[in-house]
Amino acid sequence: MRTRVNGSSATLERPALRDPAWVRWALIGLALGFLVLFVVLPLITVFAQALHRGISAYFDALAEPDALSAIRLTLLVAAIAVPVNLVFGVVAAWAITKFEFSGKSLLITLIDLPFSVSPVISGMVYVLLFGLHGWFGPWLRDHDLQVVFALPGLVLATMFVTFPFVARELIPLMQEQGIEEEEAAVSLGACGWQIFWRVTLPNIRWGLLYGTLLCNARAMGEFGAVSVVSGHIRGLTNTMPLHVEILYNEYNFVGAFAVASLLALLALVTLVAKSALEWKWGESLAGSRH
Amino acid sequence: MSGDNIYAGVSGAVAARRLGWGWFANAQGVARRVWARTTARDQGGMIIRYSVLPGFGLTLGLTLSWLGLIVLLPLAGLVIHAADLGWSGFWDVVTTPRVMAAFRVSVTTALAAALVNLVFGLLVAWVLVRYRFAGQKLVDALVDLPFALPTAVAGIALSALYSAHGWIGSVLTPLGINVAFTPLGIVVALTFIGLPFVVRTVEPVLQELPPEEEEAAISLGASRLQTFLRVILPALTPALLTGFALAFARGLGEYGSVIFIAGNMPEVSEIVPLLIIIKLEQFDYHGATAIGALMLLLSFVLLFVINLLQAWMRARHAH
Amino acid sequence: MTIRVSGICKRFGSFVALDRVDLEIRTGELLALLGPSGSGKTTLLRILGGLERPDQGSLTFFGEAALGLTPRDRQVGFVFQHYSLFRHMTVFNNVAFGLDVLARKDRPSRAAITEKVTELLRMVQLEPLADRYPSQLSGGQRQRVALARALAIEPRVLLLDEPFGALDAKVRKELRRWLRRLHDEMHITSVFVTHDQEEALELADRVVVMNRGRIEQVGIPSQVYNDPASPFVYDFLGNVNRFDCVIEAGVARIAGLEMAFPAVGMTAGPAVAFFRPHDIELTRLEAFAKEEAVSAEGASRAQVRHIYAIGPSARIELDCAGHSVEVVMDQDRLRGLGVNGGDWCGVKLGRGRLFRAGVVAATSIDQR
Repeated sequence: MRTRVNGSSATLERPALRDPAWVRWALIGLALGFLVLFVVLPLITVFAQALHRGISAYFDALAEPDALSAIRLTLLVAAIAVPVNLVFGVVAAWAITKFEFSGKSLLITLIDLPFSVSPVISGMVYVLLFGLHGWFGPWLRDHDLQVVFALPGLVLATMFVTFPFVARELIPLMQEQGIEEEEAAVSLGACGWQIFWRVTLPNIRWGLLYGTLLCNARAMGEFGAVSVVSGHIRGLTNTMPLHVEILYNEYNFVGAFAVASLLALLALVTLVAKSALEWKWGESLAGSRH
Repeated sequence: MSGDNIYAGVSGAVAARRLGWGWFANAQGVARRVWARTTARDQGGMIIRYSVLPGFGLTLGLTLSWLGLIVLLPLAGLVIHAADLGWSGFWDVVTTPRVMAAFRVSVTTALAAALVNLVFGLLVAWVLVRYRFAGQKLVDALVDLPFALPTAVAGIALSALYSAHGWIGSVLTPLGINVAFTPLGIVVALTFIGLPFVVRTVEPVLQELPPEEEEAAISLGASRLQTFLRVILPALTPALLTGFALAFARGLGEYGSVIFIAGNMPEVSEIVPLLIIIKLEQFDYHGATAIGALMLLLSFVLLFVINLLQAWMRARHAH
Repeated sequence: MTIRVSGICKRFGSFVALDRVDLEIRTGELLALLGPSGSGKTTLLRILGGLERPDQGSLTFFGEAALGLTPRDRQVGFVFQHYSLFRHMTVFNNVAFGLDVLARKDRPSRAAITEKVTELLRMVQLEPLADRYPSQLSGGQRQRVALARALAIEPRVLLLDEPFGALDAKVRKELRRWLRRLHDEMHITSVFVTHDQEEALELADRVVVMNRGRIEQVGIPSQVYNDPASPFVYDFLGNVNRFDCVIEAGVARIAGLEMAFPAVGMTAGPAVAFFRPHDIELTRLEAFAKEEAVSAEGASRAQVRHIYAIGPSARIELDCAGHSVEVVMDQDRLRGLGVNGGDWCGVKLGRGRLFRAGVVAATSIDQR
């Protein structure tokens, strides 16, 4: 998906391939205009709306008990879903990149599957499984367990949606690095864990961090999937994005945009960290940019 | 090898599950067992090339079981639920005017947004790769914002921006253009969501385009525009189509950024994902299941098309 | 006997990498596996090192069945073609790795490890670079780190995959001598893979010539060079003149040339004769200069096409009735003969070897 930022195109240095200045500036202007209209203005709007009744109204909105509980819940869900997907991503990438086996492309496609499914469906499948009328619904009710409209449902839906992030970041990176260093470690007598911790992990740590960042951003910001399984119980099963929706629908714009501004900040921090990683570790991440 | 053939994989995956689990169940005495078992695996036709590295059974077993539990089982649940409806039950739900209208709205708006992104995505990619200007890195990072910004946040921001009192809406409304609470609003939201797909698919291909080909075209007397249309654009076609398909697929399933700006009028500006949620809230599980199954089918078809396009892209790239 | 390989087969899909290979490796020797790419030499080395599993056959290390042993239990040191140094570790930590990963009860103390690594680095002349990272080293230095890293685990056998493959000609030569000296000091059983015949012949105690997954010949360098066992070995080792012949009634005739030699006991049919450039003699006969004869006194008439006279020996390219013939001789002798480009002279085949095509049969030729 992403591309090399610092690697300059070879065409830049070819005089015959330089467009006339007016063409260049017209195209740059057009592209920037499009981006301002569709990306920059929405971003500014979030903060402008959040602050348009002053800074104290902003912080009051954030200090609402329901807002605080939404923040807590979002952090909790991410704290469970992200580490699980991190471990899964590493395990899957190891199996896929260190061995040759049949059915590998199918497996990669299946891992990517959650990317191509509508978030609403990602949530709905758990309602069909664990909801009151779902397969396991009666059994869960008899045992006084609740999945849908409770924390487990939120975590499951979030895990589903963020499932591929780490794995898909690591697979191309590890594929590019090959297995030579690992083989050298085996020939020197290292066992599986030693190979992973001492040889593989140091080589993939930036890619891993990168994938985890993206995974976390999505986990905290997911809306459609958790919307289906949450039940929207204020102060209980409302994550931050869901809380934004409720406040917005109640015409509490300052409150909605204040919580939204926190999520926008998270997105900006993620982007900054991602860009920093790309610029600093362009080489070691290069494998993941195709 | 046969790893490239996705169909060959089905029986392999079944074998892997069996072998992977068998191994996982007694994961002791690892190092030596790996050795003894390799022959068995070779005979199973599962592993194509022997590897000295440990952990194949463990990692593949974990991967498959986790994938099965979190992703495949729930999706299979949806498919089985849909099958329970029977063909007529399914057909009755899907052919109601409201559902058909929702699919029409979703497909047309997603297509329109993907088209906008096809043009402007190429433009942004071109500008980022071919030109140098101040603040370029910032612009490059901004392209990823739609990936990173939670959809609900994008939704309320766009809605505020394009409503009659918003910064853009207040300019457009006097001109008779209503964006918010119309299908046009959906297109705007989906354009925002789909923007990075075309840019990020086209960018690397554009970057690696050999400049010699363009120089050859120019030395043969082609103008810059001719070179672009006849040399560059054909080379970018697979990437452009891939980006287009990715943006379209994403737009089709998008929910969060749309519902705030769409107005959600049944049969006018109601998208399919919203209709599913409405059905679920009314405990109309049959309706939701039928619509969901059709959406899932659409996603799979698109996934298949995207895979084909990507294979085409790789083949183009490899020559 | 250190290592015994018997009946080893290995396929990758439909490609046969090794086809029933038998080999014995002697204790303390430096053995070269020589062959073109795809000949199976690297696969054989990787099987010895436990990085690859054969489909069939057996392997013993010091009398013990080794196929079931992990690389660790085999106690082999493996030097990879592209070094495969751990890029995130310093030179010191690379060399120490094999000791660091030992189980606690077997692991030497920190001080002992430091001492050992320092000693190894001194031996490979890299002590001052202990804190560098692999990316900061030259190719030759990386190769020596890889060697020190493999030696740190005190292997019983050292396996080297194209150890000089990625180095430029000058460094290659230096490192080759250095490795030979090192081997002479340590006497550790070593096997190295190479496609460079000069490297194999100069460095190894014995050379194993491989082709298409089979061993063509095993022998000491002078033996495989002077007495190649197959047409392949002849072609592969050094320059050679190749003549298609026909055997008839115990005599082999080179097609289109008035040259023949005895082929006693060989069945009639097509054959191939090989002669090294220095085993062909150049003569100056009046008869040839005057275009009176095509052959005389056991020599055939030929025209000098080109003379490459650089260094102590000269290489003369001749046209002998449409056959291209290459002869090598001392510069002084060439000057004595007074042959120049375009001159007519005679070629006389000396020592060579005749192979009956399609049949495993060969005979030596000596017409000196």
